[in-house]
Amino acid sequence: MPKRTFVCRCEDVTLAEIDHAIGLGMTKIEELKRYTGLGTGPCQGKECVGGLAALLCARGLADPDRVQPFTARPPTEPVTFGALAAAGDDE
Amino acid sequence: MTDSGSSWLTRAEPARVGIHLDGEGPLPVGGADTVTLGLLDHGHVETITSAKYRRARGPYCLTGDCGTCLVRIDGRPNQRACLTRVRDGMRIGTQNKLIRAAPDPTRLVDKFIGTMDHHHFLVRPRVVNQAMQAVARELTGFGSLPDHPPDGASAHEVSAPDVLVVGAGPAGRAAAQVLGGSQLDILWIDRGLDSPTAGGLRCRGQTGVFAAYRREGIWAAMTDDGTRPPTLHTIRPRHVLLCVGARPPTIPLPNNDLPGIVAARGLLRQLRRVDATLAAKCIVIGEGETAQRAATRLGARCIAPSRVTRLEGSTRVEEVVTTDGTLEVQLVAFAPTAAAAHDLPRQAGAKLRFDGTGFATVRDDDGRCVTEGPWQVWAAGEVAGVMSDAGAADDARRVAAALLTAAQEKR
Repeated sequence: MPKRTFVCRCEDVTLAEIDHAIGLGMTKIEELKRYTGLGTGPCQGKECVGGLAALLCARGLADPDRVQPFTARPPTEPVTFGALAAAGDDE
Repeated sequence: MTDSGSSWLTRAEPARVGIHLDGEGPLPVGGADTVTLGLLDHGHVETITSAKYRRARGPYCLTGDCGTCLVRIDGRPNQRACLTRVRDGMRIGTQNKLIRAAPDPTRLVDKFIGTMDHHHFLVRPRVVNQAMQAVARELTGFGSLPDHPPDGASAHEVSAPDVLVVGAGPAGRAAAQVLGGSQLDILWIDRGLDSPTAGGLRCRGQTGVFAAYRREGIWAAMTDDGTRPPTLHTIRPRHVLLCVGARPPTIPLPNNDLPGIVAARGLLRQLRRVDATLAAKCIVIGEGETAQRAATRLGARCIAPSRVTRLEGSTRVEEVVTTDGTLEVQLVAFAPTAAAAHDLPRQAGAKLRFDGTGFATVRDDDGRCVTEGPWQVWAAGEVAGVMSDAGAADDARRVAAALLTAAQEKR
C-alpha cells in the first residue's frame, strides 16, 4: 500500500495534495476546502479543520490570531429525513 | 474477516451478548458495549473502504465525531458504531467494500499524483466528466438503502425551556449539579449512550443537537435509540449552556489512516464505560502529561510523534516504525491535544479563536459567548479551551452559577 499522510480521512485528502494546492496559490482554508474537498465528508471538518489551520500557521500562510474555520452548516450531527419531516410545515 | 481468537479486552463483566459481523458469528460481547468496543474485543477494527484511494478504514475518535465507524446495523445503513449499544442477535455489516481487492482501478489515481493534478483530471470534455462522475458516485456512495422504512412516523417534540444544557461530559455533569437545585425549567441533552440524570432537570440521552438556527431562535435535535423511529426536537430556550467538549485531531504521520489507529481519549472513555482494560498490544503516540497518563492506563508505551517515521500494515496497523526500530502492535492510540468542538458555538453566533489545535469559543468573564439575538449562549469546559477534566468541571460550575443568576434575574 502506498505511504500516505492524511489530513482529511473522510474525503481522502493527503498532505501531498494540500502541498500541491498550496503550490497552486491556494492558501486560505476556504480555498483549500473547495479545491481538495477537505472537510466535506461525514465528519464535516470536525477532525481536519484544526489540523489544516495549524499547518497553514506553521508555514506562515495564516495568522493564528485571525484564522477561522469554514462555515459550519447544519446538520452538525446526523439526522434522518423522517425526523426532519416530523416538523411539518410549521417550523 | 480476521478474528484474533483471543480477546483484546479484560472485562469485569463476562461477555454474554452475541452479535454478528458480515454474516458470521455470534461473537460474544459485553451487554453494555458499544458496537465498536464489542468488535474491537475480537480484533475487528475495519469498517469501511475510503472514498478515493480505496483504503481500509475503521473507527478513530470513538466518540461520535470522525465519521469512519459507519456500519449497517439490522438493516439500517450509516449507523455510528461507537455510539450504538449492542443488542443480542444484532447484525452488523461493514459498508462500501466494493472493489477493494487488487487490481483496484482507482489506484490509477496514484499515478497522477505529482505529475498531474487529479482535481483537474477528466474535467473536460464535459461528456467524459459526466461519465467519470457517474462511476465515482457508484464507488463512493455511503451504504445502501435501509431494508425497510421506519416502523411509523417520527414524533416531534416542541419545548421552550429556560435553559438548554448540551453535553454530559465532565463540564456538563458539573453544570447540571449546580443547575439542578433551581426552580427553572431546564432541559439537559447528550448524544451519548448513557442517559444523563440529575435531580430537577429534564434529561435526554442519545439526543444529538444538529443545528442552531439563530434567525428562527430554534435549536434542533434528534433522539435516536436505534429501535424506534427517531424523535425530532425543536427547542426555543432563553439560555443555552454549551458543554460540547473537544475532539481528537489526527496526527500527520505516514499511513495515519490505518484501521486499528484510534484516539486514546475515546478508547479510555469506551473502556471506562464498561469497566474493562486493554489486553491488546498497544502503543500510544503523543507527548505531554495527557499522553503519558493515557499510556499508563492502557498499559502501553508512549512515543512522541517526532520519533515515529511511519505506521505500517495492509488493512490494519501492524507496526510502528520509529527512529529507534520497528515495534509490532495490534492497536495504536493517538493522544494529540484535543480540538474544541467549534461548529455548534459558531452556528449559535459565538466568536472563535484558534488555540494552536482547534477553535475555542470566545466568552466573557462569566462564560457568556452570545448575548445578541434570541438567546444567551454560555460555554464551559473544553469547548472554551479548558482541556483537563477537573478544570472543565470547575469551569462549568462557575459558568453555571453565573447563568443561574442571569436566568433568575430576567425571569
